[in-house]
Amino acid sequence: MTETSVIGAGTVVSGHVRGQGSLEILGRVEGDVSVTGNVVIGPAGRVRGHVSGAELRISGQVQGDLRGTLAVLLEPGARVAGDISGPRVGIAPGALARGHVQTDGEPALAAARAATPAARPMSPPVRPPLAAAPAAPVKFEAKVPAAPPKFEAKAPAAPPKFEVQAPGKFEAAKAPPVPAKFEAKAPLPPPPKLAPKPEQRRPEPAQRRPEPEPRRPEPEQRRPEPEQRRPEPEQRRPEPARAASAPPQAEFTPVRPIKQEPRRPPPPVVPVISKGTKAKKKKSHD
Amino acid sequence: MAGTVIGEGLTIEGDISGDEEIVIHGNLRGRLTTTDAVTVGGTAIVGADITGASLSVAGQVTGDVTASERVDIQAGGKLVGDIKAARFTIADGASFKGNVDMEV
Repeated sequence: MTETSVIGAGTVVSGHVRGQGSLEILGRVEGDVSVTGNVVIGPAGRVRGHVSGAELRISGQVQGDLRGTLAVLLEPGARVAGDISGPRVGIAPGALARGHVQTDGEPALAAARAATPAARPMSPPVRPPLAAAPAAPVKFEAKVPAAPPKFEAKAPAAPPKFEVQAPGKFEAAKAPPVPAKFEAKAPLPPPPKLAPKPEQRRPEPAQRRPEPEPRRPEPEQRRPEPEQRRPEPEQRRPEPARAASAPPQAEFTPVRPIKQEPRRPPPPVVPVISKGTKAKKKKSHD
Repeated sequence: MAGTVIGEGLTIEGDISGDEEIVIHGNLRGRLTTTDAVTVGGTAIVGADITGASLSVAGQVTGDVTASERVDIQAGGKLVGDIKAARFTIADGASFKGNVDMEV
């Protein structure tokens, strides 16, 4: 009854092929193939459509889904673009597959181990999971219980880290940097008027002024002038100056005598034009 | 061996084309074109126009037949359709209905 059908190498079938019995495709089929028996697609066989059967043994090309009620075996040289499903799925080295592969059904377990001893060693290199496919149900059960405990362990561990890290880092990192910035900003406006503040900047400008230091004796002469002006600002700014630059003042006093040159005006002049004003002007013109 | 065999129980809905012998024991609906011999087995049911080098019918065929060499309807065979072939035989016990063009 169930006779083996053959679609020869020189034959092209444009349409659906379905029915009982086994089918061997050596030619081309442009359509779905659905049979109750086994399907063999030879090296020169090409199928553009879904293929379903008991055991599919593919050595040719298939563009479509493969569904084997017993097994789907991709031999070397097979090229499959489509989903593959069956209780047994074997992909031999040299076979190309692109698509979703799923092993399902139980009848394969016993038959798979006995029937595909040769296929297994071949499949592992391609996809380790495939080799384990027949045993998949067992492995999955084992893995499933193992996974949750890991998550539980990780979950509690993670929050404490965040709590500890967050406060520690934020307090330590944010608190100090912020005050530092404020201190730096606060002195910036006063420096032009106050002597001690420009000195605070001096460490930075010092990079520019390796030379000016020898000239500092002169600035001392001029400093009295800024000081005269400063009585007013000092009244306003004694607080910030003392808070931020109180220690620097002590240090600056010795420095002042060293500065002799009258270049004091320039340093204030530079800060007078707040940084960014030129850029703003340019931007405005532009 | 036949290049293509459509076994009993197998159904093809569509066109078959090729350059090799085709043997049909199953069902075919569509069109059959080949450059070689076509054999329709006793269990076959074919509803298709057939083009080939030769045709041997032991089953049921409905459709026009064009053969470059010959057409033979075996005993028990049934053919409904026009036939165009150089040689044409109808065995005793065969059924046939249609026009015959033997290119006289």
